[in-house]
Parts: sequence; C-alpha cells; structure tokens
Amino acid sequence: MTHPFRELVVGGVLLAPFVTYAVAALVMFLMLRPILRLSGVAKLFSHPSIAALSVYVTILGLLTVLF
Amino acid sequence: MSVTTALAPRHFAGVPFASWAFGIRIWIAVVVALYAGFWLELESPLSAAITVGILAVPTRGQALEKAGLRFIGTVIGVVASIALIGSLSQARDLFLLAFAAWVGLCVYVAALSDGFRAYGAVLSGYTVALVAIQQIDTPGNVFDFGMQRGAAIALGIAAIAVVNDLLVAPDRHLELAAQLAAIHRRVRDHAKAVIRGEATDRTATAGLLRETAALRSEITSLVTESSSGSARSAAARSTAVALVAELHAVRVVKALPVDVDLAARDSVTSALEEGADDRPSAASFTRRGATEQPDHMAAASDWALREVLRRDQDVRDGLAALRSGTRPARTWRTPFYFCHRLAAEAGVRSGLWLALASAFFVLAGWSAAEASLVQLTAFIGLGVISPNPRGFTVGALVAAPIAAILAGVLDFVVLDGVTDFPLLALGLAPLMIGAAVLTTSPNQVLAGVGRLNLIFILVVAGLSNPQTYNPEVFLDSSLFVCLAPALLLAAQLLIPPVSDERRRQQLMASAHREIDQLASGQAQRYAPEEAMFRDAVRIGQIAGAGVPSSQHRVLLEKALTLFDQAATVRLCDASLRELTDDLPAGLADRARGALVRRDVQSIRQAALDIQEAAPEDALARATSSALQVASFVIEEKGP
Repeated sequence: MTHPFRELVVGGVLLAPFVTYAVAALVMFLMLRPILRLSGVAKLFSHPSIAALSVYVTILGLLTVLF
Repeated sequence: MSVTTALAPRHFAGVPFASWAFGIRIWIAVVVALYAGFWLELESPLSAAITVGILAVPTRGQALEKAGLRFIGTVIGVVASIALIGSLSQARDLFLLAFAAWVGLCVYVAALSDGFRAYGAVLSGYTVALVAIQQIDTPGNVFDFGMQRGAAIALGIAAIAVVNDLLVAPDRHLELAAQLAAIHRRVRDHAKAVIRGEATDRTATAGLLRETAALRSEITSLVTESSSGSARSAAARSTAVALVAELHAVRVVKALPVDVDLAARDSVTSALEEGADDRPSAASFTRRGATEQPDHMAAASDWALREVLRRDQDVRDGLAALRSGTRPARTWRTPFYFCHRLAAEAGVRSGLWLALASAFFVLAGWSAAEASLVQLTAFIGLGVISPNPRGFTVGALVAAPIAAILAGVLDFVVLDGVTDFPLLALGLAPLMIGAAVLTTSPNQVLAGVGRLNLIFILVVAGLSNPQTYNPEVFLDSSLFVCLAPALLLAAQLLIPPVSDERRRQQLMASAHREIDQLASGQAQRYAPEEAMFRDAVRIGQIAGAGVPSSQHRVLLEKALTLFDQAATVRLCDASLRELTDDLPAGLADRARGALVRRDVQSIRQAALDIQEAAPEDALARATSSALQVASFVIEEKGP
C-alpha cells in the first residue's frame, strides 16, 4: 500500500514532506521537554541524551506513518 | 540513574582521553555528513562537512546552540543576499559597497553580544559573500544556491547532533559547576584575607570578576543541553551574579575604617570555610561600645559582614541548584555590557577592510577571485568576534598553508585517484581527529590553528562526488585560501582594528557616564545585583587577558572604584525605594539626592535621620547602615 504524501508549498516553493515532518516533530519534541523534566523521566535512563533522541525519532516515525 | 561523562583525567600520547573521544566524534560526524550529502545528491555536500567542522565544540549543549544560531544566521544571510542581488545585480561597484555596508552592520550587531550569538550575527554577514558573491555572474541562481546551502547546513547539524547524542558527548554543566566552585573558593580566600586584615592585591578582584563574567555565554548554552537545561542555566546565572555580589561585599568590608575584633573575625572566617553551613548568629561582629567606635559605625560594619555571609549563602544555594538541576529560589539575569560606539567603530572598520579588498580584486581582474573574497569576509567576521582581530588574521595566515599542504597530501598522496567512500573516510581520519584534538589544547595558538585547519582542510580538499583530483583546481583553492588572510592583514595594517588603549578609554568613559546618571529617580532597568554583573562584564573587557601593566593596573583600580560606588549607590537606592512609604515625607528623596551628588556628609546625615525616624523598623536600620557604608565607600575612594 502506498502512502500519499502532501507537499508543503511556501510562496511557490515546494518543500519535501520529510522536512515538514522533521520540523513538526522538533516542535512537538520541544513542547514535550518541560513535561519530561517535571516527570523526571531523564533520571530513569543511564544516557538521557540517547533517550531524548529516541523520543524524537519515535515522534518523527509516528508522524510519517500516521499522516 | 543519570550518568554523565566528565573529562577523564587519563591520558593517551599526552592527550586526555576526552580530547581523543571528541576528535573521533568529529571525524564520524564529518564522514556521516559527507556520506548523507553524497547520497542525497546535494549540490554542495562539502558545506555539510564544513558545518560539522564549524560546530566542533566539545559539549552537546554548546554544539546545539551554535547550530541553531548558524541556521538562523544563514536564513537571514540568504534573505539579505536575495535583496541585495535583486536590487543591485546590474551595478557591480554599488553592489560591493552595499555588501561591505551589510557586513559592517552585521559586525556592529555582533559586537553588541557575545558567544555564539555574535557568531550568528557575523555569519549573516558572510553568508551574503557565500551566496551572492559566488553567484555574482549568475544572479538567477541565488535562490537555488541559498536553498542548497540551507539544506547542507541542516544536514551537517543533524549529523553532529545525532553523533553527539549516540556517542554521549559530555554535558557542560558538570565542568561549569566545578569552574564556578573554584572561583567561589578563591573569592572566599580573598574574603578571609580581607577580614583578617592581610595585604591583598588590589586588582585581584578584577581577575575574579573577569573570569566570572567570561562564563556568561557558556551558561546560556546550558539551556539546549537537556530537559533540565533551563533550570540549570537559571541556577548558573544566579550563582555567577551572586559571586559578583559577594566580591562587591568583600570590597565594601575592605573600604570600612572599622576594626573587626578577633572573635568576630574568627566567627566570619570559619563560616566561610569549605563545607561550613552554619552562619554565625552573633548580634554584632564588631567591637560595639568600644570607645573608639561610635554605634552607627559598628552597625555599618555589622551590615557589611552580614552582606558577605548572605551573598556567600546565595552562591552556595545557586551551586546546589546547578548540581541538582533544580530551579533556584531566586533567579537573576546576567546582562551583557556593550558599547555602541566601539561596536560602530568595529563595524565601520570591517566595512572598510572589505571595501579595500574588493577594490583590490576588482583592479586585479582575476577570474575566480570571488572565492578568496568569500574567505576574506569570513575571516573578517570571525576575527572581530575574537579578542584580537589582527592576531586572528595572523593565525589564519599560519594555518592556511598548513591546511593547503595537508589537503594536498590527502588528495594526491593518500587518496590519489581513489573513488571509494570508505577509503575517503579512512584518509580523513588522521586529519580530522588531529585537528579536532588540537582545538582542545590549552595553548590558545595551537587551539586556533586546529580550529582553522578543521575547516580549511575540507575547503581546500574540495571533496565532491565523484572526486575530480584536478591539480589546477587544488592550486587555485590553495592560493586563494592563503591570499585571503594575507590581503586582510594588509588591510588591517592600513586601517588598524580598534586599539586596546582606545577600547579601555571608551569603556572607562562609559563607566563614568553611567555613575553620573545613577539614581536619577527613574526605576532602574536591572536589579542592583544584575547591574553589578553587567559592570563586571565591562571590567572584564577592560582587564582583558594576560598580566596587566602598571598603567593598566591604575586604570583597573579606577574601574573597580567606579564599580564599588555604582553598586553601593544602586543597593541603597533599591532599599530606599522599598522604604519610601514608612519614612517621613521627603526623607527618602533627600537621601537619594545625597547619593546622586555623592555628598558624604549629607548621606551620613540622611542615614542618622532614617535611623531616628524608624528605630524599630529592621529595614530602616539596614538602609541606614547601607547608607553609612555607602558614605565610606564614596569617601575612601572618591574621585
């Protein structure tokens, strides 16, 4: 099954769908950061930076699959 | 449990393991960026690798902050390129003039900030060179070229961010906490020496203030480091501000003509010992009631000693919050001091250097000379945000031939016609790791050469897919990369950068102007402690690096005197504002007027009047003591 991707058009310039997903995932990740800090999730991991990267990749993957 | 990598004390081949790890991270990121650039068939995959070279900083937060500002700077630069080329592409000379003016403006903006923000500003300037000047003969391609450059930079940022995350690049906050704690120890030692009445170096404070203020840009980088980054950044800011306030409190104690008795001295110094958490609760530290000291003087001395202990507690609280990653109880900003006049002078000079170099290239009439002009613009921008622009140009002049030789060895000896990517990756390893390791050297000259080589080697090697191995192209690149710093140095000899002496004069003049405008009845923009930090930034700029000469010492002492007076007047003014409603009409205004005039007798009279007007009010007593202290500070060192 092929997944239809919509291109974002800004002032006549076509942007690849991946760019839209990557930026949207970054915005969502930045919005999640305060919640992660308050819930103390970082303390659960030996390497919080890898955990944070994984969260970003997960959001990006979900966006690509679902939208 | 959270594990964070600290700089390892172990060494290999005389270099710390942490530096080797950093070098390997940079090499991997360069290879990943190049591979992804080739795979995505970007027009300039080299820009992605160069982005990694530019973002080569040892800690994750700093790399991310610099990356963000690099991206924003590029977007602004591309927009400016389109505007310039759209309006002036038919008039080459006018275009070059407008370009020089734009670079001058960007340098001016950069001089109003520090750290990576300044870098972002100068990058907006030389992005115009990279985009518009390189496409000066084909203006229709500017937009496409700008988009390609943006894509390559985004790819480079992604490469370094992912590699830093996966290979667990160290966090900055651990080392920053250690640096702040080390400064705190030295401040305490200084405080103990002052309280014991021992002889101290009068300009030692300037060095401590400079070191504290120099951490400002790194404190800002903590925000991007982790999810608790903003809390840690706030804690580090508060610690730095409290350190400056503690130093001021110590200087105030030194200015008082009051003896501290032995018991009080021991009590305060033991409270300042490492690990001492109990503050002395004695009602009075000084020899109250002794015949030679009136009550109000003893109260002033008490107040000053309590201030030292209060500020010390603030520093300890800030450090504890920084280590635990919690937001401190009190948050302060760390304002940056900038001088519009000096910034404007730097901007004008940069514009003139560029105009001179452009005129030279136009008259020389070389084809492909725009590549050299592009590099020259980058050197101007990066030079003005370094402490010594001409020194930076000399460093570039030394580093450029080294990079050209190394890139030649890579292209024509090591690779010599191969087209396999794994071999390119292996060939790059010693050069990238070596240059990155060199950037971590404590020797600033070596570190500078390493930083420049990390970028120059990639520029001269001209990596593309497929690699052309054209000796003519290589020789052109080498020539232009060496010509750019040589030409800039010639321009800087004709129009020298702002001299240290002139810079100091301007900074002192601004300090004098500001103290004359103090307490003018309007609400101050910053809290007294924040304003102290801003003054500390200025003292750091006056002090500069290295050992001060005797003339420089005199200037530093004057700057410290103005710092003491301004800070004391601001503290008194803030107390008076809180107290205004509890005092008889006009008394607070009278005290404030005396402070503005720096009239010692009137300040003392106002202090006594406030004490009499509200003898039971703790704030009034404290304000009265603060005014007494202010009178001593102004009297002892009055101009």
